[in-house]
Amino acid sequence: MAAAIAVAAGVPAFAAPPALNSIAPDFALKAVDGRNVRLSEYRGEPVVLHFWASWCGPCRESVAALDALGVSSGTPVLGVNLDGADRSAAVADSLHLKSPTLVDAQQSVARTYDVAKLPLTLLLDAEGRVRASWSGVPADLSALTPQLERLRQD
Amino acid sequence: MKPKSPLLLRVARLVTVFALLAAPLAAMPSEGDATNLKTVDQDVQALKKQLIDLNRDLFKLEEELLYPASTQVAVFLSVDVGTFFALDSVTLKVDDKEVANYLYTEREVQALHRGGVQKLYLGNLKTGSHEIVAFFTGKGPHDRDYRRGTTLKLDKTVGAKYVELRISDREASLQPEFVVRQWE
Repeated sequence: MAAAIAVAAGVPAFAAPPALNSIAPDFALKAVDGRNVRLSEYRGEPVVLHFWASWCGPCRESVAALDALGVSSGTPVLGVNLDGADRSAAVADSLHLKSPTLVDAQQSVARTYDVAKLPLTLLLDAEGRVRASWSGVPADLSALTPQLERLRQD
Repeated sequence: MKPKSPLLLRVARLVTVFALLAAPLAAMPSEGDATNLKTVDQDVQALKKQLIDLNRDLFKLEEELLYPASTQVAVFLSVDVGTFFALDSVTLKVDDKEVANYLYTEREVQALHRGGVQKLYLGNLKTGSHEIVAFFTGKGPHDRDYRRGTTLKLDKTVGAKYVELRISDREASLQPEFVVRQWE
C-alpha cells in the first residue's frame, strides 16, 4: 500500500527495489499488442526491465533511449507502464516503441518490485538476477551498455 | 534410542560423500590420471543425482507439511484440442475469494495443447461443502472475446481432493466446453 501511494505521489517509500544479485520476481502482464508476457520466459539472455509512466517526464526520455538500445543490441527491453491500458497503448504508439510495453494498470507488479521512484530500470542477467539498477533517474546508458555487453558475452 | 529419519540419514550420507570426494581431489597429481578422472566424474554424477533426489524429497516434505492430505485441495488445468477457444487467462475463486489469477503466454498455451497439465492452485480447505468458481477468458469462435464461468460444489472430506478444469471442444455446436472433474 505504501509503495502504491508512493508511486502515485512520486515520493520515496520505505521499501526498496530488488537488491543487486537477487532474483527479480517473476510476473506476467498483458502487452499493449494483446500478448501476455512472462518475465521468466526470457531466462537465458540478459533483459532490461524498465518501469515508467506517461506523467513522469524523465521516464519518456528514458524509455525511448532504452527502446533504441534494445533494437540496436537485440536485447529484450520490457517496459512496464503504470498508466491504464488505453493510455499505455497511446503513449507507446506516440513514442514509436518497438519493445514490448506491458500494462500494469493495477500496479501489482510495481508493488512487488517496491517501485518507490520512477523511472526504475533494472538490468537482469541470463539467470534473472539484478546486476544493476537506476531508480528515480534515467538509466545511465554509458554504464549500462558495457555491462549489457559483458552479460551477453558470458 | 529413536531411529534417525531417512532424510537425515541421506543428508549425513551426502556430507560423507562430499568429504570422500574432496580428499582425493586435493591429493590428485597435476598431470592427471585418466582412470582417476573417470572415477571422479562418475562420483560427481552420482552426487548430482543424490542432490536432485534430496531436493525432490525436501520439496515433497515441504508440500506434506504445508498442505496435509486431510485438508489439501489442488486444482489442475488441461486443454483438450481447444480449437474453438484461445486461452488468455483463468481466475479461480474458492468460496468467493480469489485464490488464483493466471495469464497464459503463447508458450504456455502451446504446452497445454501438447498435453501439459498445469497445477493452478494448491491450498487447504476444511471438511464440509465449498464452492469453486473458475472464469476463463480468451478468444472464442470467430475470434470474439469470450468469457465463461464454471462452478463446482465441492464436498471436502478427509483426504486430499483434486479438481481438474478441462477445456475441450464441443464439435456439435462448434463451441468450447469447460468441464470440471473431481478426483479423490
